[in-house]
Amino acid sequence: MRLRRARFLALLAGSALTGCARTATALNDNPGFHRFLEAPERLNLAILGAGQPLAREYADKYISPDFRHNGFDPPSDPTYLAWSRNNWHGYRLFVTGLVDDPTSFSVDDLRSKFPAVTQTTRHDCVEGWSVIGKWRGVRVREILAAAGPQSGAKYVVFHCMDDDGTGTKYYESLDMHQAAHPQALLAYDLNDQPVPLKNGAPLRLKVPTQLGYKSAKHVNKIELVAALGGQFGNGGYWEDQGYEWFAGI
Amino acid sequence: MNMMQRVYRHPIVVRITHWVVALAILILTMSGLQIFMAHPALYASDASKFDAPVFSIYSEMDNAGNPVGKLQIGSKVITTTGLLGWTSDGMGGEASRAFPAWATIPAYRALADGRRWHIFFAWVLGLCAILYAVWAFKLVPTKTEIRELPEALKEHALPWKVKATAHYNPLQKIAYFGVVFMLVPLAIVSGLALSPSFDAWAPWVPALLGGRQFARLWHFVAMWGIIGFFIGHFMMVALTGFWNNLRAMITGWFAVEESP
Repeated sequence: MRLRRARFLALLAGSALTGCARTATALNDNPGFHRFLEAPERLNLAILGAGQPLAREYADKYISPDFRHNGFDPPSDPTYLAWSRNNWHGYRLFVTGLVDDPTSFSVDDLRSKFPAVTQTTRHDCVEGWSVIGKWRGVRVREILAAAGPQSGAKYVVFHCMDDDGTGTKYYESLDMHQAAHPQALLAYDLNDQPVPLKNGAPLRLKVPTQLGYKSAKHVNKIELVAALGGQFGNGGYWEDQGYEWFAGI
Repeated sequence: MNMMQRVYRHPIVVRITHWVVALAILILTMSGLQIFMAHPALYASDASKFDAPVFSIYSEMDNAGNPVGKLQIGSKVITTTGLLGWTSDGMGGEASRAFPAWATIPAYRALADGRRWHIFFAWVLGLCAILYAVWAFKLVPTKTEIRELPEALKEHALPWKVKATAHYNPLQKIAYFGVVFMLVPLAIVSGLALSPSFDAWAPWVPALLGGRQFARLWHFVAMWGIIGFFIGHFMMVALTGFWNNLRAMITGWFAVEESP
């Protein structure tokens, strides 16, 4: 009698879970309901994205032995490979869009013309893991200032050289407030060495207050725009696959 | 024959938050398992020590070339094929995934969607917690209740003999206290510590929990604690008069035997 009841309850629990998973999956596939689920993102941005608190910086002894590679493989086109073998001579970072003086920089320009900033911060992947690395580079805001952003510029789009294997290039974006964060870097060194190919050579965006996918690798163009949408999709490669544009959670 | 008496047990705010929180916790658990599948390993540290997880679920091939699911806790590894590691893909087959399709939201692998569900219902849980806070303090055990706890524990050794009473018995009250004041707050705080933006605002929170990956471990432990509470809670609700208990949490009114 008691055993039968226990078995009945287990069966009930099993089918309740299955039913719940099925119902939720059906709701998940409904575009209207999915938009409803996305509603808290604005609230999260308004609360957590206000102000510019600094991500914790670590002592060197906490640096992870290997800065895990994730995402796309590095670009494999002949031009990129030639640059990589030739100390990045030929590579340039372009700054375009809503700026008064569109310009471009070599890696050596970035090293010599701007103050170098070092941060040892934690990189939190959306998958759940974390690694700690020491990044050196130029503040995003310094590079923007050099090109003179126009008042209509609201977002900074980071174009990348790597693609997902089908030709769709990686890209990311920040708003002007996020781009002005003192820890938002375009980094050329990782752990006192030039950024390795797998970690985003020659130049990687580093935004330690957001999840790892915001920190776009292999950046070769910064474009200031008035709005996202259109050719800029949801503002990033993973954002176009349903991930949050505000990657702070 | 015993006389029955009706007592008004649960005010409306408690009844509403109870059911909304129950739904939120169910969805948070199932979408949490979905998120966990993206990296089914836990570390007792700030950054991940990939070669030394304290807990992991994975699949591998056995000597005969068949896929098997494995659960690793510390130095122990057990085979869990069919349930964990190598399990139901929700489409009639099996796949390399930490948790079965019937336990995750969505059923299929979708980290982005799991995160949307999880963060939405985290807000629902958080707002209900604020609404419920005033009533929560009724669950703080009194000195008498703590003194009477061993007796209540003895009584619960035969759970089907436990009688429904107008007031919570000491074990019942301490169980509710534990889930409301310890497990759910631990789940909320350790969940917040996983957010890099939250951590910039309050770096002492992940530090207090032993680091960001340790916070993820706490988050997982809190989930199992809440699941454990639910099993005990559901069992006792069923054994002490299922319909009477259910009605009390819907209408507020609870029937008890009149004390002589």
